[in-house]
Amino acid sequence: MKTIYEDLNKRFTMSGYKQQRDDLAFVTVDKDQLVNAITYLKDYHKFTHLAFVTAVDWLEENEFQITYLLHNYELKVDLGLKVRLDRDNPTMDTIHHLWKQARVYQRELHEMFGIDFPGSPGVNDPMILESWEGPPPMRRDFDTKKYSEETYDHRERQHIEPEDHLRKQLYPED
Amino acid sequence: MNLKDVLSPLYVWKRAFEKPYTIRTEKEPRPGADRYRGFHQNDTEKCIGCGSCAEICQNESIDMIPVSETKDGDSGLRPRIDYGRCCWCALCVDICPSSSLTMSNAYTWIEEGLDKDTRETFCFTPGVDEKPWDNDEKGYRRPDGYDLSLLERVEMEELSPAERVTSFIEMVKGFSKEQAKREADRCIECGICTATCPGHMDIPGYIRAIREDDIEKGIEILYKTNPLPGVCGRICTRRCEDVCSLSLRGEAVSIRWLKRYLTDSAEAGKYRDLLHDEVVSSGKKVAIVGTGPGGLSAAYYLLRMGHEVEIFEQNEAAGGMLRYGIPEYRLPYGSLDNDINFIIELGAKLHLNTKVGKDISFDKLYKEFDAIFTSVGLTDSYKIGIEGEELPGVTTGLTVLKAVTMGQDPKLGDHIVVIGGGNVAMDAARTARHLGVDVTVVYRRRLEDMPADSDEIKEAIEENVEFITQGIPLKIEEGANGKLNFIWGKAEMVDNGSGKRPSPVLIEGSREVMEVTKVIAAIGQGANYGWLEGETTKQVKLGKRNIEADRWGKTDDPKIYVGGDMFNKTADAISAIADGHRSARAIDSYLAGEEYPKDRF
Repeated sequence: MKTIYEDLNKRFTMSGYKQQRDDLAFVTVDKDQLVNAITYLKDYHKFTHLAFVTAVDWLEENEFQITYLLHNYELKVDLGLKVRLDRDNPTMDTIHHLWKQARVYQRELHEMFGIDFPGSPGVNDPMILESWEGPPPMRRDFDTKKYSEETYDHRERQHIEPEDHLRKQLYPED
Repeated sequence: MNLKDVLSPLYVWKRAFEKPYTIRTEKEPRPGADRYRGFHQNDTEKCIGCGSCAEICQNESIDMIPVSETKDGDSGLRPRIDYGRCCWCALCVDICPSSSLTMSNAYTWIEEGLDKDTRETFCFTPGVDEKPWDNDEKGYRRPDGYDLSLLERVEMEELSPAERVTSFIEMVKGFSKEQAKREADRCIECGICTATCPGHMDIPGYIRAIREDDIEKGIEILYKTNPLPGVCGRICTRRCEDVCSLSLRGEAVSIRWLKRYLTDSAEAGKYRDLLHDEVVSSGKKVAIVGTGPGGLSAAYYLLRMGHEVEIFEQNEAAGGMLRYGIPEYRLPYGSLDNDINFIIELGAKLHLNTKVGKDISFDKLYKEFDAIFTSVGLTDSYKIGIEGEELPGVTTGLTVLKAVTMGQDPKLGDHIVVIGGGNVAMDAARTARHLGVDVTVVYRRRLEDMPADSDEIKEAIEENVEFITQGIPLKIEEGANGKLNFIWGKAEMVDNGSGKRPSPVLIEGSREVMEVTKVIAAIGQGANYGWLEGETTKQVKLGKRNIEADRWGKTDDPKIYVGGDMFNKTADAISAIADGHRSARAIDSYLAGEEYPKDRF
């Protein structure tokens, strides 16, 4: 793993290498170099399998992070590539030309986080949120309760506070 | 068309004889796993309606609705669950203080009729609305050893019995900041305590203030309903702790000690800064007779409402029973003085050594003041009613306690007998132990029947007070060397049928003699209305036990109000404080020309 990383590091701008287990490591790559780095790993280091693509909302830092997890069947190791995007303009280059299934992940990230992948087929189509009108629901500033109150009808609660009730019953005049 | 095309529709028929894959949930239900989290069950007898389930529910799927009668420690509400919102997380089961709420492993419910209101089909009250799974054994229960609540108290440090009998130093040491915060963490804020407290103190509120380390806010909350928090933080009868929902499975939150922690942590001189609201003078004058908790509480609230207050006290210091009835090791005079001084500093005019009816007439008060609040307590000790009671060595618990408070030697000798099982009896007995006297307590009934606080009984036993239960005093005779012979007999408990407590009946021929130096009677007190004389008191009616008044303490004369032990049935400090607060509000309304206060506490 370390040697693969050293080889990568010569070619690309990388930071924060972390060896999590013997067979798992993560590294952060520059946004502009990510597709090149993945292509290099796939073609030269036999990371032929894309395990998943996922995102994290770093609200306080005003950034999204996308993580690509790649697998090497020969060495039986995983390498995660992390990339940080500006939260105000979340756009990332597509990788569907390397793995066809990437478009499904990218479509999902677009729906749930609002991250755009221009050129990825069907990236604007909804996956599960048909006729959704609110902001992307996986963003951390999405207020689930507020959205549900504004969007759906509710049965009115009949709740009575035990403290008030008990007091009114036991001491009606107080 | 070939043969295959003709036959292929018929191939389908071969499936007709196979077992179908369809699951008929209605007719052949598939049971959930043993610990599946299915529909709720609630043991409504065990449930106290504290609403912790509704509070913890992340989906607001639980409503507390009135189902049964409200009684002490039971709100009468029961949880109704909206299964359109429930996500089956079982937090409600995990938090339930009474363990009444559980989940069955049933997960299917089919209801006919789409035209019904969803409220009827999606919501029900477990244990009240009958369901087939009500008595199912299987399903989710809180696992043993797993609890969201902290069931054990932070231990309070106390002086050992051997240490404490050597002096009158306060025996309970009080919480440190860390201990108090840890204890405050245990409160689940159900509010059953607030409803039960006669003064309706916002207990969860000030416990939260402790948790957030905001002492000033805590003191502010205390003073909203109780102007003697330093006193109540030590000697309150704490009915709040009796009903604390945590006490169902563990130990009640130490509410009293937390209150004491707040008052101990604040600087007494700074209390005034915490009262932010402006007082507008009304120009009215109110007289208060008696400086016990009732009188002091009324004085404080009347002052805060802008009325001029004058207080009349027959003794040389204010405090009433708090000072002369409660021993120093339970309530140090310094703590009592802190609370009283603050009220006096707010502007109350205190007349000490002034007995109404002797030094000043009730008529004069009636003429000079716009309203009068009286709370003089129960001062006359009951007689034992046996031969020899008039002998010089026979005295009362209150006399002994008062003498010790005033720094006098009660001259008890070396072995006394105390008759009675209430708090005054315990206080007198323990005070005698602290003075190095041997003490025997004689009580008519059993130990568990004693009306005294259980802590006091326990501590008396620790301090080597000897208890004789089911003992009936028969006679007191003069003995040798100026001593007394106390003669008593053993009683047996006779059942009085269900609902009534058994009564002690003397075993015929039983007769024991004990040689003692003093006999102390502490079997309760009655009121003395000798002072209530004059033209202006005619409208005030005396009831059997106390003065007749409505819930606000208002007598038939709307200018005269009563509170405290001479009025309420519970006869404890917090009830007197609540009476003072209630009457102060009623007086305020009366002085403003309104009949009764509109707002609640």
